[in-house]
Amino acid sequence: MSESTTTQPVGQDARFQEYVVPEIDVLYRVAYSITRNKPDAEDLVQDTMMRAYRAIERFDGKYPRAWLLTIMRNAQVNRVRRKRPELMHDPDETMGRVADESAEGADAESQLMDKEFEAPIESALAALPEKFRSVVDLVDLNALSYQEAADVLGIPVGTVMSRLHRARRNIRTHLEAFEDEVQIW
Amino acid sequence: MVKKLNCREVGLRLQSYLDGELDDARMDQIRAHLDDCVACGLEADAFVKIKKDLTAQAVPADSQALARLREFSQQIAGNAGPGVSS
Repeated sequence: MSESTTTQPVGQDARFQEYVVPEIDVLYRVAYSITRNKPDAEDLVQDTMMRAYRAIERFDGKYPRAWLLTIMRNAQVNRVRRKRPELMHDPDETMGRVADESAEGADAESQLMDKEFEAPIESALAALPEKFRSVVDLVDLNALSYQEAADVLGIPVGTVMSRLHRARRNIRTHLEAFEDEVQIW
Repeated sequence: MVKKLNCREVGLRLQSYLDGELDDARMDQIRAHLDDCVACGLEADAFVKIKKDLTAQAVPADSQALARLREFSQQIAGNAGPGVSS
């Protein structure tokens, strides 16, 4: 690591290495969950790291992942605002709609083929409304805690819990219906 | 003596238990109930399987993207990289 320049307070680089760099993998996975698009996910992580670097002197050193996820959420909200200012009335809903639109961009035929061969759990996941799916993505697929998922989505922990629990019940119902169908055939 | 929970109390906390989001004492209470109660044990097993299947749906990390991001992080911390101002 190079020495700090005169424009950087001593320790700024070291704090970045200590608190931000170890979280890059998690940040990328979460960014991909939010954007559902690899280039956008990479851009979002870069944006998050630059914001974190600027703010790191004010960071108290507690819960770096939660701090970074909050920065990422703010960065994503700003990105969406720049692209689609009319969607900003409900940021929570907006993140879902942006993800839906990314998914709609995929080739229709390949989507149909995918549906034909996907495992029941995949179709159960795909059938969830976006605001429920995003919580499952963060907690079950990316192993975030309830508090971390709440930080990313900008919603209370209690809402994360209720959405997650409802999503899992829906998935269970979907899987049971699939098993009943298989038995009939 | 640890207070025993009934099925309804366990049902309300089952998902948080499976996610390890409860304190140790509450985790022990629920674990004890699931060991004794067949119905709640089966309910828990069903959700454990769902959670395991969901975890398996995680998209594998993109190693090239991660390598680029680590390089970018070193540019930032090394020389106040692109777009970074104090």
